[in-house]
Amino acid sequence: MIVAEQKPFGQVKEFVEGYRKIMVAGCGACVTVCLVGGEAEVKVLASGLRIAHLQEGKATEVLEACVTRQCEPEFNDPLVERIREEGVEAVISLACGVGVNLLAEALEDVPVFPGVNTTFFGGVKEAGTWLELCAGCGECILHLTGGICPVARCAKSIMNGPCGGTNDGKCELGGETACAWALIIERMSRLGTLGQLETVQPARDWSTGHYGGPRRMTVEAVQAVAKEE
Amino acid sequence: MRVANECLTAPCSAACPVQTDTRGYADAVARGDYERALELLLEANPFSSVCGRICDHPCEQACRRSKIDAPVGLRALKRFVVEHTGEHRRARRARQPVLYPERVAIVGAGPAGLTAAHDLARAGYAVTVFERGDAPGGMLGATIPRYRLPYEVVREDIDDILALGVELRTGVEIGRDVTLDDLRREGFSAILLATGLSESHSLTIPGIGSEGVLLAVPFLEAARLGTTTPVGDRVVVIGGGNVAFDVARTARRLGASEVTCACLESREEMPAHEWEITEALEEGIQVMPSWGPRAIVAEEGRVRGIELKKCLRVFDEEGRFAPTFDEGHIATLLADSVILAVGQRADLACIEGSSVQIERPGRLRYSERTMATSEPGVFACGEVATGPGSAVRAVADGHRAARAVAHYLETGELLEQAPVTHPTLGELPDAVAEKVRRVAPVALRHAPAEARVTDFGDFEAGYSEAEALREARRCLACAAGAFADDDRCAGCLTCVRVCPYGVATVDKTAAMPEEMCQACGLCAAECPAAAIALQRFGTYRMREELSALLAQIPESELPRPLVVSYCCLFEVTSRSFVRAHPADLAETGIARVMVPCVARLSVPDILAPYELGADAVVIISCADGECMYPTAEQRLAGRVRRAKALLDEIGLGAERLDHWKTHESAEVSWTAFWEISKRKLAQTAVKETVG
Repeated sequence: MIVAEQKPFGQVKEFVEGYRKIMVAGCGACVTVCLVGGEAEVKVLASGLRIAHLQEGKATEVLEACVTRQCEPEFNDPLVERIREEGVEAVISLACGVGVNLLAEALEDVPVFPGVNTTFFGGVKEAGTWLELCAGCGECILHLTGGICPVARCAKSIMNGPCGGTNDGKCELGGETACAWALIIERMSRLGTLGQLETVQPARDWSTGHYGGPRRMTVEAVQAVAKEE
Repeated sequence: MRVANECLTAPCSAACPVQTDTRGYADAVARGDYERALELLLEANPFSSVCGRICDHPCEQACRRSKIDAPVGLRALKRFVVEHTGEHRRARRARQPVLYPERVAIVGAGPAGLTAAHDLARAGYAVTVFERGDAPGGMLGATIPRYRLPYEVVREDIDDILALGVELRTGVEIGRDVTLDDLRREGFSAILLATGLSESHSLTIPGIGSEGVLLAVPFLEAARLGTTTPVGDRVVVIGGGNVAFDVARTARRLGASEVTCACLESREEMPAHEWEITEALEEGIQVMPSWGPRAIVAEEGRVRGIELKKCLRVFDEEGRFAPTFDEGHIATLLADSVILAVGQRADLACIEGSSVQIERPGRLRYSERTMATSEPGVFACGEVATGPGSAVRAVADGHRAARAVAHYLETGELLEQAPVTHPTLGELPDAVAEKVRRVAPVALRHAPAEARVTDFGDFEAGYSEAEALREARRCLACAAGAFADDDRCAGCLTCVRVCPYGVATVDKTAAMPEEMCQACGLCAAECPAAAIALQRFGTYRMREELSALLAQIPESELPRPLVVSYCCLFEVTSRSFVRAHPADLAETGIARVMVPCVARLSVPDILAPYELGADAVVIISCADGECMYPTAEQRLAGRVRRAKALLDEIGLGAERLDHWKTHESAEVSWTAFWEISKRKLAQTAVKETVG
């Protein structure tokens, strides 16, 4: 899941300064699950903006909307139509950056501002806490590391760890961050595969990840039919 | 959208013979809307005043709260409602227009007959009720002792029914004064026999004809009228049912110092309600289970005592009544009176001269499904048809009979009414029950036994308002819990993580099985998709309620500062705080919104007042640690922190949101909280001006 966190209210408010008809658009997928951009948060942000504008004596209108997934154009279509029909001047999207991109693309002349900071691919550690668990590097090596990703979970993304900074299972960065390599070793010991770590992993080709430029993925069979249509 | 399974009823309503919306009236009481509660009661049961006193309350026996501590005092709540809505009730009485030419005659003015009269009059039929006695009410008026059921209470219900336009002719004995054929000739198209079981059974033991041997029904009738002959010091009552205990307790009140109830059944088998037996024991009445009458001991034709023989078994292997005795085990009791309460039978004089047939002596030929007798257009209901039963069952049968008669009049056909069963939620699962907070029931106050046997006064005090509110809140609102909108649900598991009862589940989308959900609303308040609502508490309903309240005052006249106070409904001890009057708002500047547990407030609920122009928001929850829902206080505190942080970011300031915990009660502490919050606002205003 994509994890995001809310932007400071003041920053978001500043984005829409000067617009009179604003829409807060939530997304019913990842950002709902990580409690920052679903229908409830749309209501909170919209309410906050209305209160702030009321205090400042500004006559603005703040509309609310939430779509199933902003990362799918088809889900955004009715929203785009509504935005045009109602003459919305600016949109705050509480979706991840993907949603903001697609909504902005569809809206052309209406500005779309991000209401959240998209942070990582992660999962729940406990209620209210998410951890980064995948970096989307483009060449998965989890089969070599006991299912624990050193690219995402090691601060240095080293392939042959741990580094000298490992400290009682924690990363030298401090806080609650676990040393990914300590976890890998513990896990592979339990699996009885620790010996596999004696094979030195060569340096990574990072071009499979974002460093290789924007990526594209196609499922040929589907794409071919779509093109014909 | 997945909504609650409407087929499943709460066990209390399902157990009620008239399916009273028990949860509905408990909820209305808890909200201080006693008039709404009355409407719900009367919709199901025109004898609500009577049932508030003497109902055998199968609802309470079925109450799912029994699994946690004790059932909700539904019967006493019903009494509270009728006792606190008299004026409203009298004002709502209205004559019902007659819509059909057919007239209906009802024979017998007991609960069954009068309920049928009520329903048929409401349906638009002209109804005449014939009563052989001087006053309507049947057994309710004639035999149930006044200490249990004052006649004024019976009359309250009957006056409602008569106000519909039902004609009552008392002092007319059908079959003797007027025959059923006469009624037909008078133009009645349908006749409903509801004459009850007015005759006491007797026994065929030696000495039964002695002076001082009395029958229960005439004895109780005379006691109601104050015309009994002295019963002496020692009274033996034969019988172990409710009537026997009415007789025994009446005898005690008439001055008998030694009253004994002897019955065939063992203590466990005795058919009287346990509470009747307990109250009788408190009043000094002796109970002799497993003893049958052998002979009356008489001297010069006057009873002196009774011989009893040990009863070994009342029922045979097939459950049929077939008592066996140890004839060698005899007990003799001295008695000045022996009163027989060994069952009742119908007096079928009303069918004399008609072609209505009997099945056997005292029993009409009658179809349970159609309620028809052997003569077309003549129906029967209540105990004369069904045999002995409770008042509320008679009311239920009256409803059925009205449907049967109306159908016959409309179509000329008989209506088949198969027995209806209501699938219920079943028992509360143990895993949930153990997580529900225990709340002791409000005990009913009874006069001390030694005082109550001195007269026929009402010995049970009804709930005070504070008590009724407290008791009504104990209702678990079964089957009125949370439900998720599948289209919105993101399957995020927040509901599963916050549910304090371990009830919520997610299988693609969320579900809160209604047989387990306790309707705390925490999942709804925390759901990030706003996909969950409660049956009785819509998501974000607060905004609408508040808007409606503020709309009652022109914006220019809204008081300043304007403080919106979300208050825990469960902390009030009178409804004076429950209802928000615009006048109060104008005078105090406090807009009160009552919430059945403020932990249901979402962050948008907390923010809504500021959008609507409030200067501050005050949330008042239960006393510390008193919330009935586990973890609710912490959850609310988290939402308050979130709202405060946002208010700071907006620049309005976190100090404009106060969260108080009730001290003692609403009446004791709330006004002080509001004053403190208002004073704080005034200080902030001064600082801003100075700054």
